[in-house]
Amino acid sequence: MKYAFYPGCSSQSTAKEYENSVKAISEVLDIELVEVPGWNCCGAIDAVYSFKPLYSIALAARNLAIAEKMQMDLTTPCSACYFTLSKTNSILKEDSEKKTKVNEALQTAGLSYNGGVKVRHFADVIFSDIGLQKIKEKVKAPLTALKVASYYGCFLVRPSSICSFDNPEHPTHLDDLAETLGASPVDYYGKTRCCGASLGFTDEDIMLKMSKEILLSAKNAGADCMATACPLCHFNLDARQKDIESHFNIRIDLPVLHFTQLMGLAFGIEPKQLGLNRNCVSPNNISPLAVARASNKT
Amino acid sequence: MLHEKKKFDTVTKTIQATPHQGSRKDFLREVMKLPGGEKILECIQCGSCAGGCPTRFAMDYSPMQIIKMINLGMKKEVLSSSTIWICSTCYTCSSRCPRDVGFATLMMALKNKAIQENMVKNPINSKFHRYFFEVVNKYGKLHEPSLFLKLLDKTDINGLRSNLGLGLRLLKKGKLEMRAKKIEQTSILSAMLEKTDERGTS
Amino acid sequence: MATLPQKLSIGVFVCHCGGNISDTVDMAQVKNSISSIDSVKVAESFEYVCSNPGQEMIKKAVKEQSLDRVVVASCSPRMHLETFRQAVKSAGMNPYFLEMVNIREQCSWVHDDRAKATNKATALIRAAVQRAQYLEPLTPSKLKVTESVLIIGGGIAGINSALELADKGYQVYLAERNPSIGGHMSQLSKTFPTFDCSACILTPRMVSVAQHPNIKILTNAEPTSIKGSAGNYEVNVRIKPRYVDATKCIACGECTLKCPIKKPSSFEENLLEEKAIYRPFKQAIPNASVIDKDYCLHFTKGVCGICQKLCKSEAINFEQQEEQMELKVGAIIVSTGYNLIDTKLVGQYSFGFHPDIVTNLQFERLMLQGLHRPSNGEMPKKVAFILCVGSRAITADGVAYCCKIGCMTAIKQALLLEKTVPEAEPWIFYTDVRAHGKGYEEFYAKAREHLTVFVRGRAAEVISNGNSLVVKAEDTLLGKHVEESFDLVVLSPALIPSKGAKELSEMLGIDLGPDGFFMEAHHKLRGVETKREGIYIAGAAQGPKDVRETTMESMAAASKVATFLGKGEISVSPEVAYLIPERCNLCGNCIEKCPTKAINKGKNEIVIDPVSCIGCGSCVPICPKEALDLKNTTEKQLIAQIKGIAEGESSTLKIVAFTEKMTAYGSADLGGQSRRSYSPEIRIVRLPSIGRLGIKHILHAFAAGADGIIFVEGDDSVLKEDKLRELVIKFKKELGKFGIQPLRLQSTTTTLPQYEKIFVLFDDFVERIKKMGSLTTEKREEIKKYLENAKNAA
Repeated sequence: MKYAFYPGCSSQSTAKEYENSVKAISEVLDIELVEVPGWNCCGAIDAVYSFKPLYSIALAARNLAIAEKMQMDLTTPCSACYFTLSKTNSILKEDSEKKTKVNEALQTAGLSYNGGVKVRHFADVIFSDIGLQKIKEKVKAPLTALKVASYYGCFLVRPSSICSFDNPEHPTHLDDLAETLGASPVDYYGKTRCCGASLGFTDEDIMLKMSKEILLSAKNAGADCMATACPLCHFNLDARQKDIESHFNIRIDLPVLHFTQLMGLAFGIEPKQLGLNRNCVSPNNISPLAVARASNKT
Repeated sequence: MLHEKKKFDTVTKTIQATPHQGSRKDFLREVMKLPGGEKILECIQCGSCAGGCPTRFAMDYSPMQIIKMINLGMKKEVLSSSTIWICSTCYTCSSRCPRDVGFATLMMALKNKAIQENMVKNPINSKFHRYFFEVVNKYGKLHEPSLFLKLLDKTDINGLRSNLGLGLRLLKKGKLEMRAKKIEQTSILSAMLEKTDERGTS
Repeated sequence: MATLPQKLSIGVFVCHCGGNISDTVDMAQVKNSISSIDSVKVAESFEYVCSNPGQEMIKKAVKEQSLDRVVVASCSPRMHLETFRQAVKSAGMNPYFLEMVNIREQCSWVHDDRAKATNKATALIRAAVQRAQYLEPLTPSKLKVTESVLIIGGGIAGINSALELADKGYQVYLAERNPSIGGHMSQLSKTFPTFDCSACILTPRMVSVAQHPNIKILTNAEPTSIKGSAGNYEVNVRIKPRYVDATKCIACGECTLKCPIKKPSSFEENLLEEKAIYRPFKQAIPNASVIDKDYCLHFTKGVCGICQKLCKSEAINFEQQEEQMELKVGAIIVSTGYNLIDTKLVGQYSFGFHPDIVTNLQFERLMLQGLHRPSNGEMPKKVAFILCVGSRAITADGVAYCCKIGCMTAIKQALLLEKTVPEAEPWIFYTDVRAHGKGYEEFYAKAREHLTVFVRGRAAEVISNGNSLVVKAEDTLLGKHVEESFDLVVLSPALIPSKGAKELSEMLGIDLGPDGFFMEAHHKLRGVETKREGIYIAGAAQGPKDVRETTMESMAAASKVATFLGKGEISVSPEVAYLIPERCNLCGNCIEKCPTKAINKGKNEIVIDPVSCIGCGSCVPICPKEALDLKNTTEKQLIAQIKGIAEGESSTLKIVAFTEKMTAYGSADLGGQSRRSYSPEIRIVRLPSIGRLGIKHILHAFAAGADGIIFVEGDDSVLKEDKLRELVIKFKKELGKFGIQPLRLQSTTTTLPQYEKIFVLFDDFVERIKKMGSLTTEKREEIKKYLENAKNAA
């Protein structure tokens, strides 16, 4: 299976380990990821759009235009990029005036976009194209007794017209995946609740409160760790966990893994190769049983 | 960026009796033309959006109230509200709205409008988007350190201290790339910017 | 096959109408012009032709002058057509030999110029005389009707109609899809606002139905096909096997007791289980067991059979077969009721994820089972009622309309909860409280008095929190977030039509409305009738409503049926479509086109049912072989009339305005009554529907002298606005071949209150045609030649 790969800006910095684990498990699953050559920032939902709307759409469209030439489905592990690129497709499909203007801008880069690229979240590739059966076959070190609270966040499941990977109110795909890896999925309130996204930059208190509620809800439901599918969600829940703890004067201690890291552990891949040393909240606090089994790669 | 801890009692803003600001239909029509604004008149003010919004607790006006105010042409109140900036575009409201009002999408467009009309309530919000744009326009990709540095309020000692903590934490984990990774063709960025003709949107 | 009409004697009678006509139209001149027409034997004028002496004058002329046809030029035929028809009939003439000309509402009352008005009146009368040449004697036929009724759906609506009609002496077949009659009302605890015990007011009626000698109950029954026409329908009903002989079963319950298989009970809304052999509910009618073969071991595995062994009445019959019944009925009532929307679709309320999240219908059952929480059997104290689950929604998971009973049901359930559970705390989360009926507002007040908490805000989500449920909402009146824990959450789901409504509507040839419910003939005035004569609707099948309104409708439907079948025969209008069989090539275009399914393929021929035919004439122009025609608006009659109207001095512009005979024509009359003046270039031709017209008629009009043509159709007629526009666009295209500008045609639909719309159109159109000028004589000759050639080729 071959896909045009759009890593997203976080993969270069705050979520390097995410890309590492994506690549690691892709190898095991025979997924060929061809990075979109010369890709640029997608615009990050409303980050650029709020300031320069048309330019923002053109930025996103440039990636799609390059991918269109590759004649493959495009996949990205970042939910925000997944939404932004999918929305761009939708905008250009419905608004022919914008499509013309954007293509005029793309022309300056010697490109044009016709609207033919299908944008898929990497989790969708795993679940729908590879399938749980094949994944099960690759599990060497089942994550037995590991209680995983899968976190879907916003764009994996909403809005349904653009992002329809799973049921928007009661999604189950990531939980099914966790189960396939041998873990026990934990149900908790907050699995589709917003983590606060980029409010962490401008209205930090709000973001900290939002992420806190998600973490505590998962923890109170008995989770050993969380699994995310978006680098920004991961950042807010993992890298900022210490700030949440000090802001609210509480202890959380809940490791947050990228779902691909979880898969990699179950496949028996070296934690280092999965970048687990980069996760801010140490995964070594996970139930020793699970970690022992996980690191017991055969 | 850690400001003083704020308390978030639900603020009930008494909507002053200045609706129908002469240009009611003008503002309403303007907003209806924006993406997400197509179905504003379908709103039955049920309040599902407000009930499920994860950041509503910090907003001055609830999503439902914003729609009502647009309907009444209350341009100033809407564009200078904190609501449009506190919205995290999580799409919970839009996915539950029985009348198909594209609220989250509309918030994105109203952010831009508020910047255009110079009615942004909290300057940090417009700064964030401007700086994000500037960094991406320069490198083609987001370079977090550049963005952090621009956003840093050098007069906020507490903020600086905790940001430093975060920064060190990230550095230690190798999560901060001090060197910006540019895309090869950065020149095309300004060409694209010019073509989309949005200079002067301050 | 053109035959020249025999030399006829036509009498023309022009009314002065006490000056209403004669003040504007020059009577002498009209009489003069008309008498010079060949075949006009008599041309008289009179003060009031409709008066007794006036009518006597006509009758006398008919007898003494041996008149073959009579033309009365006076007020609108909508006033006195029947009067004059009866008059000539009593003089021994076929009433359809009477033709009326409207020279009052559509001439003298709306034109100021005497000369022009007179010219126009003359033209209209001349057209009528020419049409009269081709009038045929017609007789309404009488059709015997079958004095029995089929009622589809055995809920409260069907039950009420059945009893009404049975009492009136009709044989009633009550067909119910489920194994017992009773419908959803049998599941309810108490009704609002009177707190009647639902079963107590329903079951006596159910028993009456069972005992009534004139009612035959068919359960497990559904119609599969229908033939025939109003007054004489033939319906095939399929009856699925119960596997229990209901006549032998004594409802002792032994079989149910010993049956080893359990299944979810649909009567209990899946809250409880019942056995594979079960009685639908305690007061079921027929009061007999039924076997669900999807669960019964005998059918699934070929074993067991305990029930049969135990049954002392030998009522169990695993070999029972499906039955087909052919019912002959005169009328049908559709009372198929409603269903609840699939509540799981509105995912934010987590229906299906916790046993204590229930629908309002399930709550009814809980109250009758002894109110308890499904999860642990305890009494629920704090209960949330969430309204508008899927209603008032334009998204894919919902329906646009209000469910109408949600608010009142929640209020009722809140009050009952408080009666049942001490310290109960009902909360109602609403968008708008709709308390529209008699006693409903007072009922709402009662709930507030009894301390029900009303939160104005549609709940955002329901979260299961282990033992309790959390409801999140915003109290929009306070602008405050509400997050409360509850023992039980009751959802108010949208109501949708019963399963299979679409298929049934297609089978019966009636319409569904945009909301998917069966469509009434008129929103206000014909609420239980459908577009098909002899088929009626009642109850929730027409749209969500409560028991009171349902009962009203079921009575109304029964009354309509009784009126329809009352005389033992119905009168069938002779103004219907008919086939010229030697021309027909069985292409079937007419079958598709007919809006009332009156045309069907017989053994090897096209058959037109005169009862179902509404005489719109839509089938005539689309027949490629001209094998269809319409009585009393035949091709010959129509073309003669068109020619008559359009001919005359070429110095005047002539605009032919084809108008549909009821609403459009009526609107033109209304304008006349208001003395709304317009230009006399406009000459109105009354038609059953614009659909009657083909390009041929348009060409004839232009050839004869028309310079512009207007089409006006009633909004409520069978030809809808979009189809009308399509038709006229087609005409314009054809006319393009002759170089006639498309702007010479104009169409509109109208309603009676909007009648002014037509006149604005008339004014604008006249101006337009004046600017465009008359068609040239050469053009007219060209068209005439084309029509001649076409006629010769046929």
